[in-house]
Amino acid sequence: MSIIQQHTAASLSDAWRTINIDALVEDSPLNFDTSTLHPPLAPTSEAEARQVNAQVRQLLRAGDAEGALRGCLEMPVYNAESDNAREVHLATVVEVLQSIKASEMTPLLQRIYASPGGSECLDVLMKYLYKGMAAGPTGGSAPRTPTRVTPQQTGFSQVGSRPGVSTESTGAAMSVLLSWHEKVVEVGGLGCIGRVMTDWRKV
Amino acid sequence: MAAPEVHHLFHNPIADHSFSADHKTLAIARDTTVELYSRVGNSFKLVDELKGHDKTVTSVDIAPNSGRIVSCSQDRNALVWEPSPQGYKPTLVLLRINRAATFVRWSPSETKFAVGSGDRLIAVCYFEEENDWWVSKHLKKPIRSTITTVAWHPNSVLLAAGSTDAHARVFSSFIKGVDARPEPGVWGERLPFNTVCGEFLNNSAGWVHAVAFSPSGDALAYAAHDSSITVVYPSGPDQPPKAVISVNTQLLPFMSLIWNGEAEIIAAGYDCEAFRFKGGINGWQLSGTLEAKGRPGLSDNREDSALNMFRQMDLRGKAKDDTQLKTVHQNTITMLRPYETSGGAVRKFSSSGVDGRIVIWHT
Repeated sequence: MSIIQQHTAASLSDAWRTINIDALVEDSPLNFDTSTLHPPLAPTSEAEARQVNAQVRQLLRAGDAEGALRGCLEMPVYNAESDNAREVHLATVVEVLQSIKASEMTPLLQRIYASPGGSECLDVLMKYLYKGMAAGPTGGSAPRTPTRVTPQQTGFSQVGSRPGVSTESTGAAMSVLLSWHEKVVEVGGLGCIGRVMTDWRKV
Repeated sequence: MAAPEVHHLFHNPIADHSFSADHKTLAIARDTTVELYSRVGNSFKLVDELKGHDKTVTSVDIAPNSGRIVSCSQDRNALVWEPSPQGYKPTLVLLRINRAATFVRWSPSETKFAVGSGDRLIAVCYFEEENDWWVSKHLKKPIRSTITTVAWHPNSVLLAAGSTDAHARVFSSFIKGVDARPEPGVWGERLPFNTVCGEFLNNSAGWVHAVAFSPSGDALAYAAHDSSITVVYPSGPDQPPKAVISVNTQLLPFMSLIWNGEAEIIAAGYDCEAFRFKGGINGWQLSGTLEAKGRPGLSDNREDSALNMFRQMDLRGKAKDDTQLKTVHQNTITMLRPYETSGGAVRKFSSSGVDGRIVIWHT
């Protein structure tokens, strides 16, 4: 079937396989700004994130955990003016999550899920859970130390070797996020995880 | 509800399947060939293999009236297989694409078919009498990524397409001399080729896996990789749609969907079972599965002897054999098609999937 009958030195080597042909085509996705495919999102400043934090704290003090959780999930920081805004909002969410008792998680999530727009809220919560787990021990409230990858001789005790990390607080923060993760999957199903992975709006 | 009719053809994935109008012939896209099965009694027997593609066949469709089969493949070609007394004769279609062809469907008029491709375009193909040749026109703008699926409007002019750029779009594929001028409708009044009649994106914007027009053609449903289905009710040309209803589910994403009348959608995908959605312009919701739980023949209600139990414990380390899913399909369902319809309603539909099974369901 091949129409190429004559071989040259260039065609016999396989160097041509590594040519990125998409770069040569004018209207290829490589030369296209994919962010224009989606409607733009309103940017959030750090001050706004702090304001939400203050409001949520007030609700928490008043004992309205559900309102506090809804409040911070309905205003996710998708398009932050600075990374600080993202960190502040993550800290707000984690703070709310830590203040809710384990026995109240499931009924609270079920109430949120059943309310209008609830499925979206759980998706946002899931995004923050994953972000929290990725961010590591401080939960984002303090400036994050970049994870240093040091070559290990043994390959075992990786946690202990990280500087400035107290293992207990890591464990506590992670166990809160993990138990929330379990409860969110119970209520929101696997579809919730799928949506977090497909969604282009990152927190 | 009668039990579904299960045909386990082989242990390979089925990319696509299509029944002929009389339900006697079944075309299966398997690997690089199209296999034709014929109904013998209660089962299907392999009668012919259509060999012509040299890469994976991605989609196959039998035209119900003419009996022509169209197939397309990752080798960037589409073939039209003409039935003749000596067997099926292939004709190559001039697609002019340089990426894989991903999806093909005959228009209801059977004078055209649409081929979706990884080349960020849809080739609308029609027969040119004077050259005795299938040629194509390209729908290009504003597609930004691979077309995963296409579906025809009943008027054979409008075409819906889903893409990996997360948009479901409705195009006009009007071709002069082939199509009769369409009646103005909710999607638009004048419809020259490549008119974009609608472009839809849902919130979390997953890849679109399936699109379908309602039987009247006045609503469009699509399923995306964010485990949702979205139903769009257009209101007229250049106006925002009357309603766009998205149903996010707790399930895994749906790969295929069909309408059953105007108020019901059946969708199936990675959960290996089909689900029913009910609703209308005021809202849609998931109403349940089509799988009858606890069917006879499932192994979980079989009585086990103590000897057998200990033997299983010894051999496998567990007493119950849980390697079987509780669903009829044992892997992802990739395609649903109406099998028997009356009016706009679907009486029976067929499904195929990665497990090599064809199942005919009663709705």
